[in-house]
Amino acid sequence: MAGKIPRVPVNHLGSATTAGSPFTPNSAPLQAGLSRRDFMRLSALAAASGLVLPRRPVAAQSMTSTESELLALAMDVARSEGADYADGRVIRTQFEAVGAREQMITQVQSTDSYGINVRALVGGSWGFAATQIFTRDAVANIAREAVAIARANNDVAPSTTVLAPVDIFPDADWVTPHSIDPFTIPIEDKAALLLRINEEALRVNNIRFSSSSILSVKEERLLATTEGSVVRQTLMRINPSINITAISPDGSDFQSRSAVVEPAGRGYEYVMGLELAANAQGWAEEAAMKLDAPGVEPGKWDLVLHPSNLWLTIHENIGHPTELDRALGFEANYAGTSFIYPPEDVIGKLKMGPEFLQFEGNRTEFGGCATTGWDDEGVPAEAWPIIKDGIFVDYQTTREQAAWISQHTGIDRSHGCSYGQNWESMPFQRMPNVSMLPGEENLSEDDVIAATERGILVEGRGSYSIDQQRYNIQFGGQVFWEIRNGRKYQMLRDVAYVGRTPEFWNSLDVIGGAQTYFLGASFGDAKGQPIQVNAVSHGCPISLFRDIDIINTA
Amino acid sequence: MAEAKGLSESDIKAISDRVIELSQADHCRVNIDSGWRGYTRVATNRITSAGGADRTAVTITSVFGKRVASINTNSIEGPDLEAAVRKSEAMARLAPESPEYMPELGLQNYRPTGGYYESTGELEPLTRAEAAAIAIRQAEASNQIAASYMDVRAGTSAVGTSNGLFGAHASTGVAYTLTSRTRDGLQSGWAGDEANDWNQIESQRVADDAVSKCRDWRKTELDPGQYTAILEPTAVGMLMLRMMNTFNQRLADEGRSYFSKSGGGNRLGEQLFDDRVSLRSDPGFVDAEAAPFTSEGQARVATNWVEDGRLVNLSRPRFWADQLGEEPLPGPGNFIMAGGDDSLEDMIASTERGVLITRFWYIRGLNPRIISYTGLTRDGTFLIENGRISRPVTNFRFNQSLVEMLKNVEMVGPSVRVAASENSSVSTPIVVPTLKVSGFNLSSVSDAI
Repeated sequence: MAGKIPRVPVNHLGSATTAGSPFTPNSAPLQAGLSRRDFMRLSALAAASGLVLPRRPVAAQSMTSTESELLALAMDVARSEGADYADGRVIRTQFEAVGAREQMITQVQSTDSYGINVRALVGGSWGFAATQIFTRDAVANIAREAVAIARANNDVAPSTTVLAPVDIFPDADWVTPHSIDPFTIPIEDKAALLLRINEEALRVNNIRFSSSSILSVKEERLLATTEGSVVRQTLMRINPSINITAISPDGSDFQSRSAVVEPAGRGYEYVMGLELAANAQGWAEEAAMKLDAPGVEPGKWDLVLHPSNLWLTIHENIGHPTELDRALGFEANYAGTSFIYPPEDVIGKLKMGPEFLQFEGNRTEFGGCATTGWDDEGVPAEAWPIIKDGIFVDYQTTREQAAWISQHTGIDRSHGCSYGQNWESMPFQRMPNVSMLPGEENLSEDDVIAATERGILVEGRGSYSIDQQRYNIQFGGQVFWEIRNGRKYQMLRDVAYVGRTPEFWNSLDVIGGAQTYFLGASFGDAKGQPIQVNAVSHGCPISLFRDIDIINTA
Repeated sequence: MAEAKGLSESDIKAISDRVIELSQADHCRVNIDSGWRGYTRVATNRITSAGGADRTAVTITSVFGKRVASINTNSIEGPDLEAAVRKSEAMARLAPESPEYMPELGLQNYRPTGGYYESTGELEPLTRAEAAAIAIRQAEASNQIAASYMDVRAGTSAVGTSNGLFGAHASTGVAYTLTSRTRDGLQSGWAGDEANDWNQIESQRVADDAVSKCRDWRKTELDPGQYTAILEPTAVGMLMLRMMNTFNQRLADEGRSYFSKSGGGNRLGEQLFDDRVSLRSDPGFVDAEAAPFTSEGQARVATNWVEDGRLVNLSRPRFWADQLGEEPLPGPGNFIMAGGDDSLEDMIASTERGVLITRFWYIRGLNPRIISYTGLTRDGTFLIENGRISRPVTNFRFNQSLVEMLKNVEMVGPSVRVAASENSSVSTPIVVPTLKVSGFNLSSVSDAI
C-alpha cells in the first residue's frame, strides 16, 4: 500500500471556508469616489460605479432566489413535457487576465458570462438548450426545447439510459478552499508583481524578453435536478504564467524557459507563496544556460521525470485513456479512442506498470483544478483507484456511464466526473484529477537521482504530442540535466522522450516519496464537439524510468 | 433574404453607439459578437447530442491616456451595459500604462466581403439530422460505426470606436466531419468538409469517403523513415493553419522567427520555398470569406505572403509599423495556397515509393527557428509502390520542418476548402491543394487506429 496523498478533507455539509463566499447575500452599499483598492474589492463583490444600481450586480454575487425559482420552473416544465429526468444550471463564469511583457502591461481583461441551461433525458437520448435571458418565458422555452430535442433524437434512434443511483442533496454548497479571493486583489497589485518578475528576469545576461500573466477564474454554479438536489458552488482557479527568452549575442539562436509554475485550484495566497519575483532570475538563468548547453545525444537513457514534467505525461497517457466514453467510441471523431479497451478484457486484468504503481481518480485533492464538492449531476466528489498495484481497475464515469461497466467493476455509482464548461455547454464526462501516489519508502529527489548512472532529469512540461489511442508518445520538457554517476552533471537541450505507453510505464523503476509529491495542472484539457475545456491537476512523485528512447529535436 | 442570426446590424450599432455615448474614458472601443451556434453530434450510430444557443457578447475597451482595460460580458440589458462600461473604466484607471498602445482608429473604408449564406443561417436541426443519417445508414450498411459532428455558426461581428469607426460583418460557417470505424476497432476512416455555404457541403461525398477509407485502411507494418508523401488537402490544411501565423515582422525583426535574418533584420524578398509555393490571404475569397476588418478595426485586404516561393510580406501590427515608419499590415484572416494542375491519380502514378496521408492529429510545435512540428497520421495511411497504392500501413508520428516541406514540393493539385481544425469546429478558412513532397519525415510508428 503506497503512501497517501496529503489532502484537505472535503466537507459536503458546508464550505471549507466561507470567506468570500459569493453565496452570502451582499448588502454592501455602493459608493461613489472609491479608492483603487476599494474599487477592486467592491467590484469583486458585485459593485458597479455607484452611479447606477443594476437590477443585478455585475460581478460575483449570490445565486439569488430568483435563480433558484427559475431552475425550479425549468425542472417543472421539463417534467410536465415528459422528460424522464432533467437537470439545469445557472452558471456565471468570470475570467480576469492581467498580462505584461518586459516593462509594459499588455493585457487587462475581464470576461463575465452568465446564463442558464437545461438538459433533459427522454428514453435514452439527451437534449440540451441554454439561454442568457433570465425571464420565466425564456427559461420555460429552453426546458421545452431540451425535451423536444431529446424526444426527436430518441425517435430517430430509440435507446435506454440507466442513471446510476445518487444521494439527494436538497441544499448543498461548497466553495474552493481559499484564504484570498483572487478577484479581490487589485489589478494594479497584479500588474506590479508581473512587472517586477519581468524586471528580475531581464537582469540576466542575454535575456531579451520576458512575459508574464495571471489568469484568475471564478465559476459560480447553481445546479438543480428533477430528483431534488440543489447544489450551489463557487470554484476558483488561478494560473500564473511566465515565459522568458534568451537570444544569443550574435542573434543566431534563441531559447525559452516557460511553464515555471503550475496553475492551481486555490486562491491568491497560492500566487503569493510562489515567490515569483524572487525566483525569476533563476528561471532566466536557465533560459540563458540553454544557449550554451550541448544538444542531447540521441539513444537510450535512464529518465528521471520531475513532477513538473511527469504530471502532463500522466494526463496524456493515464488520464485520457481511462475516460470511459473515449474508450467506447463516443469521442472517435475528435479526441479519439483508447488503447485501454474493451472494458471486459482490461478491468482488473491489464498490467499498466510495476506493482508499486498506484493511480487514483479524485475530485477531492486540495489545490486540484478539478476538485469540487459535487459534479454537474449532483454526485458528491470522491477518490477511487484507477490503477491498483500496477493493474488497471476502473475508468472515469458519469451517472449514465456507471452502469455500462458495473458488472466488471462491481461499482454501481458514478465517480462524479460530469462537467460542462459554462452555461452554453452540455455537461459530459470530463477528467478528474488523476494522481499517482508517492512511494512508501519515502525517497527524496536526491535518492532517486542517485539511483541513476547515466540519465537525464527533465523539469517542466515542453512540447507534448500523443496519438489518439494514447500509445505513441513524444514529450519534451523545459530544462534537462544530464545525470552522471548519480549526480546532476550538466545542462542539455533539445531533448524529447519517445515510446509506447505500456512499455513506458512498465519501465518505471524507482519513485520518490511524499516529500517529492507535487501537483501540476492545465486549464486546457480539451474534449467534445463542440469542444469544451476542462481544468485538471495531476499529482505525482519524482520518478525514474529505465532505458527510454531519447531524440534530439533541434 | 432572411435577417442574419443574432441581433440585427442596426441593433448592434445601437449597442455600440450606446456604449460610446456612455463612455467617460478618453477613448473607447466596442467589439460585439452576436449570433447562433448549433450542432448535431453522432457516436455509435446514433445522435448523441444536438442543440443550439443564441449568444450576444460585448467587449468594451476603455482608455485613459495609455491606460487600457477591457471587459467582455453577455449581460447587456438596460443598466447592465452601463455597469460594464463603468467597470471597464475603473479597471483602466487602475491599469499601468501600456507604452505600445495605439490610438483608436477613426472611420475606415471596408470593402464588404460577403460570407453570410442563408442556406447556413436558416439550417434546421432536421436537415442536419438528415445529413447525419446519410452517414449512419452508410456506416451500418458496411457494418461500421459512425461518429460525426456538424458545427454550424451564423451571426454578426462588429467593431466601433469613439473616434467614429463602425464596421459590421455577417458570416456563416459549417464544418462537417465523420469518422467511421469497424466494430473490432481495427479499421478507421475519416472525411470532412467545411464551407460558409451549407449548399457546398457534400454530405454524401463525406459519407462515401469515410466509409470507403475505413473499408480500405487496416494497418500493416511499415518502417519509419523519410518518404515521398502525398498529403491530401486536409493534411496540408492542418499544417498551413499553423504556417499562417508565422508571417510576423516583429518576431522576425526581433530574432525570434525563421524569417529573422542572421545578424539582424528579416528575410523579406528572399526565395525561401519551391517556386510553386504561393501563399496569400483574401477576405473576399468566395466561400472562404473572412471579415474585412480586425478586432481593432483595421481594414483587411488581399495580401500575398509568399509569391512563387519568395517571401513578399510580413504582417506589421500598428505599433511595430509605427516604429518602422511603415504602413501597418494586419495578419491573414483566411489562408489560401495556390493550386496546380496535378491530379491525385498522376501523383500516385508518378510515385515509385511513397505514403498517402489523409489527415493529422495532435500537431504541436517543436522548433520555431525551422517552423518544425510533430504530430501523427490518422484515419487512412497508405503505401504507394510503383505508381499504385499497394497496401494500407500503420500510422506514424511525423517530425517535420514546414520550411523543408515547402522546399520539397514535387506536385501540386487543385485547391479546395478543408476542415482544418483538429476539433472539427468551423476554423479560420483554409484553402489548399493536395501536395506531393519528397523527404517527409515519418519518425516513428504509432499503433493507434
